[in-house]
Amino acid sequence: MTLSTFGAIMGYAGDIVKQTEEAYQGLISKAKNPTLKQALQDLAGEEKKNQSLMERTRRENVTEMILEPITGLHQEEYIVDLKGVPQKDDTDLVKVAMILEERVKRFFSDASAKVPLPEVARTFRKVSQKREENLGKLQSLRLHQPLK
Amino acid sequence: MKRVKNFINGAWVDSDTKEYGDVWCPATGEKIGEVPFSTASDVDKAVQAAKKAYWEWRCTPPLSRARYLFRLKNLFEDAFEDIARTLVTEEGKTLDESRGEVRRMIENVEHATGVTTLMTGYNLEDIAQGIDCTAERQPIGVFGVIAPFNFPAMVPWWFLPYAVVAGNTYIVKPSEQVPMTQTRIFEALDECGFPEGVINMVHGAREAVNGMLYHPDIKGISFVGQSATARYVYKACGETGKRVQSLGGAKNFVIVMPDAEIDRNIPSLITSFYGCAGERCLSGSVLVPVGDVHKELREKFVAAAKALRVGNGLQEGIQMGPVVSKKHKEKILGYIEKGLQEGAKLVLDGRSIKVEGHLNGFFIGPTIFDDVHPDMAIAKEEIFGPVVSIVRVKNLDEGLKLIENSEYGNAACLYTTSGKTAREFKYRAVASMMGINLGIAAPMSFFPFGGAKGSFFGDIKGHGREVLQFFTDTKVVIQRWT
Repeated sequence: MTLSTFGAIMGYAGDIVKQTEEAYQGLISKAKNPTLKQALQDLAGEEKKNQSLMERTRRENVTEMILEPITGLHQEEYIVDLKGVPQKDDTDLVKVAMILEERVKRFFSDASAKVPLPEVARTFRKVSQKREENLGKLQSLRLHQPLK
Repeated sequence: MKRVKNFINGAWVDSDTKEYGDVWCPATGEKIGEVPFSTASDVDKAVQAAKKAYWEWRCTPPLSRARYLFRLKNLFEDAFEDIARTLVTEEGKTLDESRGEVRRMIENVEHATGVTTLMTGYNLEDIAQGIDCTAERQPIGVFGVIAPFNFPAMVPWWFLPYAVVAGNTYIVKPSEQVPMTQTRIFEALDECGFPEGVINMVHGAREAVNGMLYHPDIKGISFVGQSATARYVYKACGETGKRVQSLGGAKNFVIVMPDAEIDRNIPSLITSFYGCAGERCLSGSVLVPVGDVHKELREKFVAAAKALRVGNGLQEGIQMGPVVSKKHKEKILGYIEKGLQEGAKLVLDGRSIKVEGHLNGFFIGPTIFDDVHPDMAIAKEEIFGPVVSIVRVKNLDEGLKLIENSEYGNAACLYTTSGKTAREFKYRAVASMMGINLGIAAPMSFFPFGGAKGSFFGDIKGHGREVLQFFTDTKVVIQRWT
């Protein structure tokens, strides 16, 4: 589906952070290493906050004067199927978390370039940049922690 | 099935009437509620409540009055999505459009909280030897708004917050076609704790309107609607000695110069003509390509119009909803028929559109006429629907002539890359809201909203700084103590 309106983009932005939070909730129960468990809880908490952020961003920035059709943003490009991805141990879980973070980062980065409202674009960029930080943290967790 | 009630003296009350109108969902064509056609006696009850509340409210410090608005803003934020969805359900516009409207409603509340700056007067010492003069703004009494169907949330709030924060009391009469939205807004307002009688709402149609226009204790009326009614309201308020700001209809021309960036501006043009299904007084109605830009513009505009997703506005991603009623749909279809009879070329026909699952909805697809002559009805009269008339001109002068000859003067837009052309356009065009490389020239709450010629009757327009003048009397005090 093409995200061709401001509302459709904001709606999908809300969905994507909600789905990610739910995915993290699933991973938390599987994680064994306490550091990883905490990291996943933090990520889930962040996505919970982002759901409110998306709702507020939509409500406060909808600008009736320039509700112009938007082109070039397609929901299909951000679908992630985790069914085939192994989730046997903590190392697998970090990989899954990285896939999730990568997806969110990519969507918000792409969407920030499409939305003609600076406040919304700034919020999207910020969410995307935070994913970059999160990816770094997950990467270091994978490299430096004995995740057995 | 919801039957809406009046809100008088801080309570939800039934009307005295036995007559009720139907409220429809334009997307499904189903009846969703009933609205009382309130009587003059209902209006009088609201006026008496407002009159009784006036003096105490008038003596409340402006900053304290503003605090009610701060609370109200928060209540509106909490109810935001619910108000927006109610609006879509009864009016038909898309969720985005609806949210945008609610946002603009709230912006007026926000702007009005600046009353301590907006309402100040001025003074000068020694206007004569030892004599000082001050000009003070004072509230006047009971004011009211008679609102249209197309922006059921926003329009009453172009006026109400300013009137009330200035110390007046108020009566809202929503359009009888869309009474649910303002009812939902008043449910939020009911939680705010305004003193009883300060803000009231009376539903209804002709009798309620006349009850307000001819009530001796209403000091001023704000109206938004068709020009014929705007003229009637203006006249009635003149007869009864009321202040009046009466905003009428429109026929807006959108001129595209040969140097305009077509690809970049197509989304903006589409929004101008088809936003809110063309049911807005700022919608583009006549597309005016200048010189040889016509062919490229027509091709790209038609392609973009064809691609619009038409459907139930409650579905996220829909770009154009239905028109408000079956009756209005028939009126628009009548104009399309008239355009054909007058010889215009129908290049995109939206009459036969079918929206899956909504076969009884009041939908009309994007429609475009080319080869339209300025004398044709579709080039002159307000259609208020998703119908575009393309009138070709040779140069800017011819385009400006079209605007000048129109009986309306609400908005006009120009697309160009030339600053010189833009300057000439805004300098000469006889319309009050101008868009340059923008198709919806909608002034925000801190600028005045209103047109010229047959689009506006009165002196002081909606919102902006000036609106405080409408809602206050400037009392001049001259003093000598020396």
